Amino acid sequence: MTTTVAEASAPTAWSRDEIWRTMARGFGQLLITAGVVILLFVAYELWFTGYYTQQQQSTLNTQIEKQWTQNAAPDVSTVAPDKVKIGSGIAVLYIPRFGKHYHFVVVEGVGTDDLKKGPGHYPGTALPGQIGNFYVAGHRTTYLHPFNKIATLRRGDKIVLETKSMWFTYTIQDIPGTNIRWKEIVSPTDVAAAVYPVPDQSNPNKKPTLRLLTFSSCHPEYSASERYIIHAELTQSLPKTPGQYPAALSAPVGH
Amino acid sequence: MYVWIWRRLPGGVPGKIVGYLVLLAGVLALLFFLVFPWAETALPFNDVTVDKPVSTSSPSPAPAPGSPTPGAPTPGATVP
Repeated sequence: MTTTVAEASAPTAWSRDEIWRTMARGFGQLLITAGVVILLFVAYELWFTGYYTQQQQSTLNTQIEKQWTQNAAPDVSTVAPDKVKIGSGIAVLYIPRFGKHYHFVVVEGVGTDDLKKGPGHYPGTALPGQIGNFYVAGHRTTYLHPFNKIATLRRGDKIVLETKSMWFTYTIQDIPGTNIRWKEIVSPTDVAAAVYPVPDQSNPNKKPTLRLLTFSSCHPEYSASERYIIHAELTQSLPKTPGQYPAALSAPVGH
Repeated sequence: MYVWIWRRLPGGVPGKIVGYLVLLAGVLALLFFLVFPWAETALPFNDVTVDKPVSTSSPSPAPAPGSPTPGAPTPGATVP
């Protein structure tokens, strides 16, 4: 902003130079403004969206807690996969590799609005602990980026899910007896890799026998041209008793 | 453009500064609560799911609860 003094009140005839100067300055300011707006958009995506997710997560935490303690509803692992309400919390996810404070409530649904609340379970795929493929998608860079560090996961890492009455521990590994590798990078439309009851098979109706978990997030980071996929198999089911936690967790935090 | 606004704001220098801050807050609120949420749905970098090739750039529609048969979540899905 320049320190121009107020113009004379009488209408002045602008010279051609003045008109050009004013137009050039206006155009320049417009470009600078556009640049600032784009930077603001980046800041919005990377940080501001996280506040929304944080709020939603704390609401979901309270809800799921209440559901577990007061509600007579059965454990989610005994429910038919398509009987869960879209947008509701279904389990709490812990990934020790992401730090001992890491926990998210997994939301039912993978629509835009569901994924804004937290990692989302693809409706119709198996629920935690069930035979089939429990498939969860999550943001990598925005909305509190639950899967920001997905590329740091390694073979043998544990993924823990807490439901109303159970602890389910999955181990990241190549799935024995199949061609399912623990990590994959696939095209965004490669549904076989994640959505099928037995991933990476050509037959979507192949009857599952294993209890699997699949994560997906966008790849490369800050892009979405591919998907980063992680597969794991259930290795421990532990009924919840006070003071006892699965070996992968020292003690859960949060909720 | 900014000079033009500055000249039209009332209240001397302090009033103009206050006026400018109010305008700025209004514009920021408009961007953060209306424009950006709209813009991000039109951009693809928030797509994290593996899904049928119906809509890759627009928000992927969550299948209605109850529509997928358990055990066969994607009837008729074809892999390209």
